[in-house]
Amino acid sequence: MTVEVRQHQKTPLWRNATVLKWASQVFVLFMLLFLFGALGSRATDNFAQSDISFGWDWLSNPTGVQIREGIDTLPDSGARALTVGIINTMRVAISGIFVATLIGTIIGIARLSSNWIVNKLATVYIETIRNIPLLVQIFFWSALAVGLPSLTAEDVGTYWFKTSNRGFAFSWVFPDGGFWPWLVFIAVGFFVGRWLLRRRRQHQEDTGEPGHGGWYMAASILVFAVVGWFAWPVLSFMEPVLEAIEKFVANLPQIIVPIVIALGAIAASVWWIRGFFESRRTPAGFGKLTDDDWFRVVFAGFAGIAIAVVAFVIGEFTIKTVAGEVLSVAELAIVGVSNFFGWLGAKFNATDANTVIEGIRSGGPLVFERPQVILAGGAQIPQFGSSGMVLTVPFFAIWTGVTVYTASFIAEIVRGGILAVPKGQTEASMALGLKRSQYLRQIILPQAFRIILPPLGNQYLNLAKNTSLGIAVAFADIVAVGVTIVNQTGQSLPVVLVWMAFFLTVSLSISAVVNYYNRRMQLVER
Amino acid sequence: MENEQRSTRTLGDPIVITDGVKKWFGDFQALKGVTATVREREVVVIIGPSGSGKSTYIRCINRLEAHQEGTIIVDGTELTNDIKNIEKIRSEVGMVFQQFNLFPHLTVLDNITLAPQWVRKQPKAETEEYAMELLERVGIPEQADKYPGQLSGGQQQRVAIARSLAMKPRIMLFDEPTSALDPEMIKEVLDVMKELAHGGMTMMVVTHEMGFAREVADRVMFFDYGTIVEEGTPEHFFTNPQHDRTKLFLSQIL
Repeated sequence: MTVEVRQHQKTPLWRNATVLKWASQVFVLFMLLFLFGALGSRATDNFAQSDISFGWDWLSNPTGVQIREGIDTLPDSGARALTVGIINTMRVAISGIFVATLIGTIIGIARLSSNWIVNKLATVYIETIRNIPLLVQIFFWSALAVGLPSLTAEDVGTYWFKTSNRGFAFSWVFPDGGFWPWLVFIAVGFFVGRWLLRRRRQHQEDTGEPGHGGWYMAASILVFAVVGWFAWPVLSFMEPVLEAIEKFVANLPQIIVPIVIALGAIAASVWWIRGFFESRRTPAGFGKLTDDDWFRVVFAGFAGIAIAVVAFVIGEFTIKTVAGEVLSVAELAIVGVSNFFGWLGAKFNATDANTVIEGIRSGGPLVFERPQVILAGGAQIPQFGSSGMVLTVPFFAIWTGVTVYTASFIAEIVRGGILAVPKGQTEASMALGLKRSQYLRQIILPQAFRIILPPLGNQYLNLAKNTSLGIAVAFADIVAVGVTIVNQTGQSLPVVLVWMAFFLTVSLSISAVVNYYNRRMQLVER
Repeated sequence: MENEQRSTRTLGDPIVITDGVKKWFGDFQALKGVTATVREREVVVIIGPSGSGKSTYIRCINRLEAHQEGTIIVDGTELTNDIKNIEKIRSEVGMVFQQFNLFPHLTVLDNITLAPQWVRKQPKAETEEYAMELLERVGIPEQADKYPGQLSGGQQQRVAIARSLAMKPRIMLFDEPTSALDPEMIKEVLDVMKELAHGGMTMMVVTHEMGFAREVADRVMFFDYGTIVEEGTPEHFFTNPQHDRTKLFLSQIL
């Protein structure tokens, strides 16, 4: 019996699955770009007809926005106002992530405790907090704080800690004149400490004696911090060096900006393509590339060149600055980088920073401040002065709200992660004679962390995004500031675009960090 | 041939002594007074239906389960609530589990060297050298840098045996070491265990492998309902069992 085999022929392009897959993706990409372009021009036309020109002038124009709290309460431009909002948002998000992780971990472990009271307290915390909407909780914290007594003329004075319906004020340590040079000392202490840590680990491996590497590292950082506290003015030579760099950068021709970006983009794509080819190399020799692989290589090369071209085009765009100058994007980049070095240089100025001013300057790297209640304004209203850390009621409400709320979810994730490590791992460790502290650190936690990490990343994203609920209690975050700008200028679409870009950047940054650790922790199987 | 292998070992002093050991899980009594003595270099095979308490019994010997009545003396140390004693005994007693329980985030080599480094405080180089020696003995030195997930079940169980041996234990406990393995992998694990027995290791083995019991064991214990129903040499046990329960069990599995 013979089997009839259909004659082999070369597959035509329109039936090649790989070509179809990539062609459709490229097609969708171009359609999307076209769609956004069309929508964009449509919106611009509409704005033009309704007397609101879609544009970005408000970024550099004075907007008359007043902000209740932040690094600048009367910003001179839209961009400055948004910066204040961004910093307020970041303050909540970053400190919230750290504290929520800490509380969540403690509560999660407490819920696994065999101690009845600890266990039940943790359960009540989790079940209460995660089942009440976040917005309601934020209102609750706000109402709680507003219910506190108000400041009166009798309260005038200096305090360690003071609560009122205007917020919470407490003593705090702030960076002072010598802070940046001192940071350099601490950084050196950190690197020396890491070197010591490695040496101690090696010693432990060689001899079996305990290395105490962590203690050596901590001691190194402490020693450098103490020495740097007094010795930081020796770094003042950095000021002229950084100023020289500032001048050098300021005098660079503006064509250098697109050239650097273009070279960077092309280098990145070459590096990626090289890495890709390397990854296809096996001990047996160079594997055959599939059509799919070739598409990727071509795509990466094309993307590199495209970014290079776009860099030259965008570099020519002009923007009006607050001062009214018209600068190209490339010039603006040069000014920005140059100013950065100038700013950094000023941080190393020892003579100015070293001047001790009673109550304001410590003459060292840090200054300790206690809050004060003062009578301010013509009406002599009692309020918190500028020293110490003052948390306003809105900040307290949104920060406590997102932190306590997210901590309840993190607690469940931590508990689940630890429970998901099979019991056999503990038994095997015990059977080998390992102490509880040893196997928790070496065996259980590394495996639990691997399970905890991805959902933990999701909670960080939620926390960062939930800060936008701060608008409910008038917290001056990027959303609230943006709303004020929209009210003043009518530029709703550009402001929304800025919001989207900001939250996207924050979320993608968090994802990138989490994914990096996730890849490092992954188990090798098969 | 089989008897010859056994006779090369001379039994030493008692090393595991259990006297009237009782253990409850809630209302359920898993052990109802187990009294037995294991001597140095002796290989004891424990068989019995599931739920008969045989696993619980050997898990009591390194205190993975705490017994509630009776005494257990291992290598001259009585097992009590004293954590120091428990840790000392655990470092002298190796255990191999049905589910291997290798540490999946560590390489084979690190699995083996972890306990000697942290418990015995030995230098890393020394532990790695001995680990390679052990991997040679269990026949998989080429797998040293792989992760447990990359190995077959039989290979994983051999690594688990090497991991226990790295602590240079005086007694090895095996809790159904071949029950989770494919038939062709059972042999490679049993071969390693036989070699261990010939080397003079004191072993307590819970298993359903009757061939292993016949060939290697000095003594067979038959557990049912939390007590030792019958014990004796394999010849006695397999050819001339005394109790009806033993006869029934053997008739069902042989």
